[in-house]
Amino acid sequence: MSMPHDTFECGHTLEELSIYLDTGEFADPHHLESCPECRNGLDSLRRLSAAGNELFASDVAAAGSGTDEWMKDILANLALELRPGRTIPLRSDDPADTLSETEGAVLALVRSVADNLPGTVAGRVKLDGDVTLPGEPVTVRADLAVLFGQHLMDSAASLRQDLAEALARHTELTIAAIDITITDVIDAPREEQ
Amino acid sequence: MRDQLDLVPDAILVGRAADGDTAAFEALARRYGPHMRASARRLTGSYADADDAVQEALVQAWKQLDTLRDPAAVKGWLLRLTGSRSIDLLRRRRNHTSLAGGEDDAPPDTVSPGAGPETTAVAGAGIESLKAALATLPEEQRRCWILKEINGQSYEEIAQTLNISPASVRGRLARARTALVREMEDWR
Repeated sequence: MSMPHDTFECGHTLEELSIYLDTGEFADPHHLESCPECRNGLDSLRRLSAAGNELFASDVAAAGSGTDEWMKDILANLALELRPGRTIPLRSDDPADTLSETEGAVLALVRSVADNLPGTVAGRVKLDGDVTLPGEPVTVRADLAVLFGQHLMDSAASLRQDLAEALARHTELTIAAIDITITDVIDAPREEQ
Repeated sequence: MRDQLDLVPDAILVGRAADGDTAAFEALARRYGPHMRASARRLTGSYADADDAVQEALVQAWKQLDTLRDPAAVKGWLLRLTGSRSIDLLRRRRNHTSLAGGEDDAPPDTVSPGAGPETTAVAGAGIESLKAALATLPEEQRRCWILKEINGQSYEEIAQTLNISPASVRGRLARARTALVREMEDWR
């Protein structure tokens, strides 16, 4: 429902210019360099875009911070379901007892070991292998972020050692290998960009 | 450095959250919550509705984290979920009020009759005249504009959110901008 006055004397419209700004598509790009009306139109659209950015910034500022009460209320209401994962059997002295731990608990253990080292934090952790069968070889794969300035090889080596000890103490898994991938180097405090 | 989750890159937090780490998920929620809330407020018109939409988006995000192909793209994903849940909420409420014969809800920032060009010409005039101009847009165009400019969604993503074709999005967005430019020029 384009109105007559939306069409410039050169025959082009603000709608075409708007699409041009988004996609770069325009039937006659050279025309835009010489047509004063189209140039005015593009200026108007750019001013609109600038006002949009201002509005966005002011809206986000008005929404408050992620540490405010409204966010605490939302988080309190979330009631996130647990992710137990697979069930890992444990030996028991009495055959009548069935003991097990969850895969989720083992992943949390791996994260906590990584997080406790200076300057490292765990990402995704995977247990490759059938953990539901006792004695099956299992490979632990962990993503790791390391704070800038930490020695990467040293961080990975001490993590591998700490993980081997912790897994031996708290699980009965047969660990075939521990693979650590440093996926990120953390260089500065982050804010939303 | 678990107490410093707020410093950790998105992809790491997404990986942990997918593994079941609620603290990592909450760090993501705190990081992008203000943007989600701002977007939802502009779409729904109130913080009360916005907070409901953000909460629903976060619940959905927690359940569907595994479907996120690029963990580093979590911000855009959360905003898309927020947009969809906001639109759903508006639809539910619209159905409800029309059944109940209720009155139409006013879009956010409808200018009061007393506010004219003189009052908006001062500081922040760009924002104020844009808010006023947005209030005059047809609802569908306003939604397209917000999803594009506030959420940063692509035509295809907006099309999915609104359940229309990308070509319609393109048309609505172009008409919205044209109307906004005209409206804002009238305020000068």
